[in-house]
Amino acid sequence: MLRFSKKHNYSGVMICVEGIDGSGKTTQIELLDNWLKSKGVDVILTQWNSSELISNTTKKAKKKNLLSGRTFSLLHAVDFADRLERTIKPALKAGFVVLADRYVYTAFARDVAREVDALWVRNMYSFAIKPDMTFYFDVSPKDSLERICANRKPKFYEAGMDMKLSNNPYKSYVIFQTRILEEYRKMVDEFGLIKIDAMESIRSKQKFIREKVEELLVENKIL
Amino acid sequence: MYKKQHGYDGLLIVIEGTDGSGKSTQVNLLSQYIKEQCFGCTVSQWKTSRLISGVINEAKERNMLNTTTFSLLYAADYTDRLENEIIPALKAGFVVLMDRYIYTAYVRDSVRGHDIKWVKNLYSFAPTPDLVFYLNTPPDVLIKRLLAKDGALDYFESGRDIGLSSDIYKSFEIYQKRCLDEYKKLEKEYNFIELDGTKPKEEIHFLIREKVCEILNEDVVK
Repeated sequence: MLRFSKKHNYSGVMICVEGIDGSGKTTQIELLDNWLKSKGVDVILTQWNSSELISNTTKKAKKKNLLSGRTFSLLHAVDFADRLERTIKPALKAGFVVLADRYVYTAFARDVAREVDALWVRNMYSFAIKPDMTFYFDVSPKDSLERICANRKPKFYEAGMDMKLSNNPYKSYVIFQTRILEEYRKMVDEFGLIKIDAMESIRSKQKFIREKVEELLVENKIL
Repeated sequence: MYKKQHGYDGLLIVIEGTDGSGKSTQVNLLSQYIKEQCFGCTVSQWKTSRLISGVINEAKERNMLNTTTFSLLYAADYTDRLENEIIPALKAGFVVLMDRYIYTAYVRDSVRGHDIKWVKNLYSFAPTPDLVFYLNTPPDVLIKRLLAKDGALDYFESGRDIGLSSDIYKSFEIYQKRCLDEYKKLEKEYNFIELDGTKPKEEIHFLIREKVCEILNEDVVK
């Protein structure tokens, strides 16, 4: 297997947050971003599926519901490769702390939940840089659904409607996100993710994260 | 009795070669011939999916692609065509002619420094073609044809993106030679039928037609 496992030799540090929708990742990484900036650390935040090269194509294709699992997977890989080369690597070389809201683990979890071969996806992403630290927010699909769909219906792809699991988007969401969750849980050991209970309070989660990050940054002489 | 590896009702025929090797001419001639024989025939060209090809062209114009992104975009283009054009046509019993196939990616990506194992993994789900014709044409002939056709050498076809030489002519030569070397490596592994691309087009077409007829005559297209 062409597994991505290379430890990078850049002066910067890479930190990721992972988890299914509604697990509170984004809230946490924004708090972390804020805190690091207030300490005068050079930080850059990068989001999944956000490269100007391809993200619009992906969004358009999603709207038309015309993506197969494999095409879906490849489009996200294109997005990732583009961000990796143009944002992440240069920032790491320049000594930045790179915060990634979702990383390759998102692809490993979602694509496999879409019945794409697990080894195929892992091999495809073997060019990725191994993060220095990854926090995984564990939440049950039901709690996730409550948070995400407090004021709207689940979207077509996040509910996995393309998988034809159920005609009811709410039911489909729970089935599909359960599959994703199973993949995440397997990855905790496979990739050494730090598991956090998403149902803890925002404050206690952030305190824990700051503690861990501080250690890491001191180790790397950034703090 | 000929046995198809992909298991579909149709037939998958590939014509490979570098730019200017005469692929498109041969694809057209063959397509016409197959239709004359009362078979359904469809052509699929490299980098033509509605979803992705625009993105590739735009990115190329702005010269903003690194080699990994480049490879993945082509794989996405291929996958989209595979699922929306190629497999449906094969299922419906068409003879599908491919103007370039995954071997193009193997060659270009290897020349650009990617591990061939990584590239092969990307395309590991691709159906195995029934016939692969490879038009082997030396760089000096290619240059003349391309200059006569377009009046200039293409940036990527000259490998300028990988900085081989600041002289475009020289860069083209080095790049195309490397591509030919990579094609050579694939030849045996994938049973390419090698054709001399410098021969007249009718002569080449006749050779291709002969091989295609051998299979068509076995009644393997439903």
